[in-house]
Amino acid sequence: MKKLSQLFKRYWQLFSAAAVILVIGLGVFGYSKSQVHAASGRTRVVFWHEMKGPGQKKLVTFINEFNKSQSKYEVVPQFQGGYNDVIQKIMNTHGTDASPAIFQSMDISTSQMYHSGFTVPMQKFIDKENYDISKIASVARGVATRNNTLLAMPFNTSQTTLYYNAGLLKKYKITPPPVNPTYSDITRVSKQLYDRSNHKVKGISVEAYSWLFEQFLSNANEEFANKNDGHSGISTKVNFTGPTAIKSMTWVQDRVKYGDFMNFGSHKNEMAAFLSNKLGIYMQTSADMSVLAKGLGKNLGVTYYPRPDGVKANGISVGGASLWISNDKSEAVQQGAWEFTKFLINPKNQARWEKATGYLAINKDSANEPILKQSYEKLPMLKVPSDQLKSAKANYTNSGIFVDGVVAARSLVQNAMQQIYAGKDVYKSLKAAEDSYNKVLESNNLANGWTKK
Amino acid sequence: MIESLPSTKQQPKGPEANNEVTAKVKSFELKKNDKYYAWLFLGPSILLLTVFVFFPMLRTLYLSLFLTDTFGNPTVFIGLKNYTTLLKSASYIASLKATGTYVISVSVFTIIFGLLLAALANQKLRGISFFRNIFTATMGVSVSVSAVFWLFMFNPSLGILNKVVVAFGFHPINWLTTPGWAMTAVIATTVWMHLGFTFLLFFGALQAVPKSLYDAASVSGATSRYQFWHITLPMISPTMFFVAVITLISGFKSFGLIDLMTGGGPTNATNLLVYRVYKDAFMNGNYAQASTEAIILTIIIAIITFVQFKLLAKRVNY
Repeated sequence: MKKLSQLFKRYWQLFSAAAVILVIGLGVFGYSKSQVHAASGRTRVVFWHEMKGPGQKKLVTFINEFNKSQSKYEVVPQFQGGYNDVIQKIMNTHGTDASPAIFQSMDISTSQMYHSGFTVPMQKFIDKENYDISKIASVARGVATRNNTLLAMPFNTSQTTLYYNAGLLKKYKITPPPVNPTYSDITRVSKQLYDRSNHKVKGISVEAYSWLFEQFLSNANEEFANKNDGHSGISTKVNFTGPTAIKSMTWVQDRVKYGDFMNFGSHKNEMAAFLSNKLGIYMQTSADMSVLAKGLGKNLGVTYYPRPDGVKANGISVGGASLWISNDKSEAVQQGAWEFTKFLINPKNQARWEKATGYLAINKDSANEPILKQSYEKLPMLKVPSDQLKSAKANYTNSGIFVDGVVAARSLVQNAMQQIYAGKDVYKSLKAAEDSYNKVLESNNLANGWTKK
Repeated sequence: MIESLPSTKQQPKGPEANNEVTAKVKSFELKKNDKYYAWLFLGPSILLLTVFVFFPMLRTLYLSLFLTDTFGNPTVFIGLKNYTTLLKSASYIASLKATGTYVISVSVFTIIFGLLLAALANQKLRGISFFRNIFTATMGVSVSVSAVFWLFMFNPSLGILNKVVVAFGFHPINWLTTPGWAMTAVIATTVWMHLGFTFLLFFGALQAVPKSLYDAASVSGATSRYQFWHITLPMISPTMFFVAVITLISGFKSFGLIDLMTGGGPTNATNLLVYRVYKDAFMNGNYAQASTEAIILTIIIAIITFVQFKLLAKRVNY
């Protein structure tokens, strides 16, 4: 014993170094093992998602059900924060153990994911087993399609929707806006609400959020970027100063000037004001539906996204996010990711998903599921966004924007919107954003080797 | 270095040390000079700093001279063009101005209110220790928590601040969506957050001022205002200098509050330099531009710190 302690004293550095190396080595070994096989011997499918609130709850339920329904794969959900963060995380972790097998990424990241070459197109799995993709709404597929190849599977699909407080409208004896309203229809309701409530209730709010701006353009069949919104090539210029862009922003600014408009700063504040009867109309994702229906019940009014006066509605793009399968994992893991995808988009689960979250069921058969039928009967308003989705015929301007770095364009558009709401000149604000983004686009295309100097 | 070397060298000579080792070290000492030890002891830290500080710094500088692609790889060399475009861009100039306003207001108000609270707490009153504890309370509140409850207070339709404003007969204020008010709101929140620590520093400094000075002043008939300007202030000037430096630097680094409260908006009014770097790199994926902004920010902070030490240090009465 004494000898041992002497030995230890002399060579303690060696011992401790060996111990450290052993611990690190075991840790790394264990970690890399855990990436492929869970303790149960199933294939581990790591799934990155960005769902919060009711969406996250339901998603976790689905994952648990999927894991119980079979014994081959184990899906492991990992919450990643916001849509914006996840793009950079994918770009930076691809090819490492930290990257996911399947991930959720938003509509406007489609182009970047496509160009990265980091993913396996869903089309590969669809073709392999002749999966009937026609069951999935075509407009939803449009956002994730390039050259007739489905790149990713739309999952949490939403559209911008116009919500109004039917209870307040009734109280002040105002006729609700029609289905498929024009800007003037909305102006009438908003003004009447503001005036008849003695300015106690604000008529309308349009968050300074580029998605809403993009949908104003979509609904009037106006391009956001050239080359058909990037669907038929690499966009080199954007267009923020077209007739609809000017018309829609002038419309909002007129509301600001009249006083019936209020900028609440965030979606959350907007929703809080709407639910507490301080705001009559706002436009946001159809995914707000579940919370609003719970809060207002029969007093909730829903209609289509507005269009400019005298213009036929072209329909709007879907928003939300799609599921992408990474190509840096083994075939077995990829297959597991595909099985999980199929599970999520089956008619029953899509119906439950719509019921729980307000995201639109993308599977056409979901409408026949009892769970949706019942809730539509109870609150017919719930069906409006789904009707809006079906009423649109897919074309280039309502299938999203296929351009890299739309995130940056959005922040410029948002800045312009904020300036416009603060009273600055509509054309000048939009033109400044357009010029800035054209420069970004030029250097981005150059840096990626898509254009020559 | 000079202080630490002899003690480390003496260590093996302790009673428990092995003779062999001592002999080795001694022979070492004869052969090599102190330089060997310098490298031996500095080596690990230099290695770590190289990997985690110097390399990223040089890489940032390198990236700022290129255009970067989707993955952040430098692809097209453009020299200093990133710098010229940035310094010409109106929104960057606006960010510079906003950062200036923010940093200066935060430092000034933190010092004023911190000193005020410390002076109040320095009175000998019944129950004052309760207030002393209350005043330091913000030290225990994290950035995210304080952002969340200030957000509640700033909420345009439900927040308490607008209830007060309306009660006084004014129109409700859109705190976080009007550029001027958003800056005010962010500054107020930051000052509030810094207040606990600043109070503690000033309070400590005030307590350390010898009472005999005040007694002597009172005897010679000096007013309390005169005492404040001519005794208190000079005596606590080192603390004041310290507070000025740390609030200024932490002002430049302010990120959490901005991210949670305004996200840099409205109309970039609170898009401070640090936040801009984050946004350009991790949201817009434009690493070249973010690197350029980081380099400029580094230069600005270096200059300000240098000036501060040169100018302020002279006026500090140690």
